[in-house]
Formats: sequence, C-alpha cells, structure tokens
Amino acid sequence: MAVELRDDSDNGSDFSRPGSPSPSSPTPSLSNTTSNRGQGIVDHTTFDQLLDMDLDDDDEFSRTLVHNYFEQAQRAFGDMDAAMSASDLLALSRLGHFLKGSSAQLGLLKVKASCEKLQYYGQRMDATGQHSSISNEEAEKQIRVLLIQMRREYDEAESYLRDFYGEQEQQQ
Amino acid sequence: MSTLSLSSSHPSSPSPSSPSPSSPLSSSSCPSTFSMPMPASITPPGSPPSPTMSVDSIRGHNALRLDSPLELDQQRKTKVMIVDDNSINLSILSRMLEKHFTDIIQLTVVMTSGVEALQRLATEEFDLILMDIDMPVLTGVQTTVAIRQSTSEYPILKHNQSVPIIAVTTSDGAEQRELYQQVGMLDCVSKPIVLSKLRSAIEGAMKASR
Repeated sequence: MAVELRDDSDNGSDFSRPGSPSPSSPTPSLSNTTSNRGQGIVDHTTFDQLLDMDLDDDDEFSRTLVHNYFEQAQRAFGDMDAAMSASDLLALSRLGHFLKGSSAQLGLLKVKASCEKLQYYGQRMDATGQHSSISNEEAEKQIRVLLIQMRREYDEAESYLRDFYGEQEQQQ
Repeated sequence: MSTLSLSSSHPSSPSPSSPSPSSPLSSSSCPSTFSMPMPASITPPGSPPSPTMSVDSIRGHNALRLDSPLELDQQRKTKVMIVDDNSINLSILSRMLEKHFTDIIQLTVVMTSGVEALQRLATEEFDLILMDIDMPVLTGVQTTVAIRQSTSEYPILKHNQSVPIIAVTTSDGAEQRELYQQVGMLDCVSKPIVLSKLRSAIEGAMKASR
C-alpha cells in the first residue's frame, strides 16, 4: 500500500514512500484527513522511520508492529486497572514505563506523555518527575484521572493508525 | 544470511512484585528458555507471537549477504545482543540493525530479560550489547554490573566481561547517563531511537573496543 504522508511541520524530512504521489501533487482525501488529524497524535518523524523499514511495496512490518502494539496496550490497560484496584502504585509505575517505551517508538506523543506521568505518579512524584513526594492518596487520585485520559488518547491514536492503514476500527 | 535467535521468558507483562531498580543485584528464578522453532512457540512478554520476529521474515528481501572473503578479512563483522523486555522495542531495533547496519553487523540475537542475557553470555561471545534499562527482575544496570563482575551466580565468558554495552532507553537524564557510565556502559541512545544517533553510538563502541 502506498500512502503519502505529509508533515505540516517543516523539518525537511522526505515523507514520500516509493511509488506514492509526490508531495507537490494532489493527495487522496484520506491522506489529507489522516495527516491533519495526526498532528499532536503521532510524531511523523518517528513513525516514518518505522515505515522506512517496510519493504518497498509491503507494509507488513509496520502494520504487524502496530497491531502488536494495540494488543500490548490493551493488556497493559487491563493490568493497570487491576493494579489500580489493588492500589499498587509501583505496579502502575512499572506499567506506565513499559507502555511508554513502545508508545515512544511508534511516535505516539500523547500516549507516551501520559505513560510518563503514570510512571512518576506511581512513584509518588509529581507529573514532571521531580523528586517531590506526594501522598498515596494524591497519587491514586491523579492516576485515576490520568487513566481515563490515557485511554482516550490511546483510542485516538488507535483510530488514527487504523485509518492510516485503511482498516475499520474494531469494536471494543 | 542473517539469523535471529530469540529466547523468551514469562510472565507476559511486567511483574508488579519485581524488586526496585535500586535494590542490590538480586537473584531470580530462571525463566524457561528454549531454542526457536519460529514463530509460533515464541511469546515475548507483552505481545503475542509476531511474524516480524520470525527468522523467515528476517530472511526476506533484506537478508544479509555474505561478504567476499576479501571483505571479511578487511572488516570482521559484529555479533550483537539486544536485551529488552518489550517485544515492540525488540522488533524495531532488530529490524533497524538488519536494514541499516548490514555493513558492520553479521548477527543479532535478542534476549527478553537480563537473566537470559547473562545465561547466554556465559557460553557465547558477543561483540556488542544494546541494553534496555528498565526491566523486571534484573535492570539493565544490574545486568551490566553482573557482566563486568562475572560472579559465581552469573559467570561470564572472559571476552564478554569487557564487551561494549550501549544503553537504549527512555530513562536518559543526565544523572542516569552518569550512572550508566559508572557501571561500565559506553553510551546511551534515547528512545525513540534516531537512526543516525544509533549508528554514531555503535560505530563509537566498535572503535573503542579495537
């Protein structure tokens, strides 16, 4: 599948995939919509590096990777809910860090940022990771709100990526 | 031809009861390891089996080509171990090496825990290790200490005790980088990995080891 990515930030990167329309030619409406929605959701510099690792006319690598990420994230969210029920802050921190890494590697900006906050709150630090200690109650309160936000951000990212690959969203 | 060797351990997600990264080097129960009939039997933590982890997918269009004997004489290629508990990160990094580093890397082996890495380093020589930091049971720092010190609990081949180790992590603040250096890591590459920075770190590590 050849899809042109356009990055509205001018960083000089070439986002054209082999065989896809050049940036100067009209692009399919789906690509326009996808790339505009992607702003703030996906760091295209990072994501395009993944796409670059696909074979020329075969997006199996990146597509499979993204699907594996979806499954990993769903499992992580389930584990987060369980850890929240158990008030296990350290587990929540570890899960936040775990998902942060793969979210970062896919360029999922908001999810990554929220995972980092979860990592810090779980260690009873503030959202920036400074060494100020917050109470368990405050940490749980912040995490409760954050998990809802994170899930919303993940849903947005999943929707964007499924749209990018031309897939229907799966019903949860 | 490139080959990919994968060992896997359980559980499927980070353990809530793992010791903190600041705890002393801890012993751990040895996870089951097994050699690979790819891909169905391998389940790295956090993800189901992925075709991208299969030897067959690695041996596709981007299969490494054997250099001529003359080229091999001129530049011995590198055997790399990647250690990361997150299968997404393993997939990306191993693919990156396969696609962009065929000039210097001959073989990549992936490990999903520090314990597995130490077990492998007891019997097989490597030229470079790309090490995740935040892993359950043994962190990347603890694993590096164990490699450098070669204890009776984790004996390490003499060659591997001085193997160049590059941290690959989102935990890349100044204090953390200093810690990595103190325990014997040569460099630190931040996640998400930028190809040029990875190349610079790998080439620097190779030069330092010669």
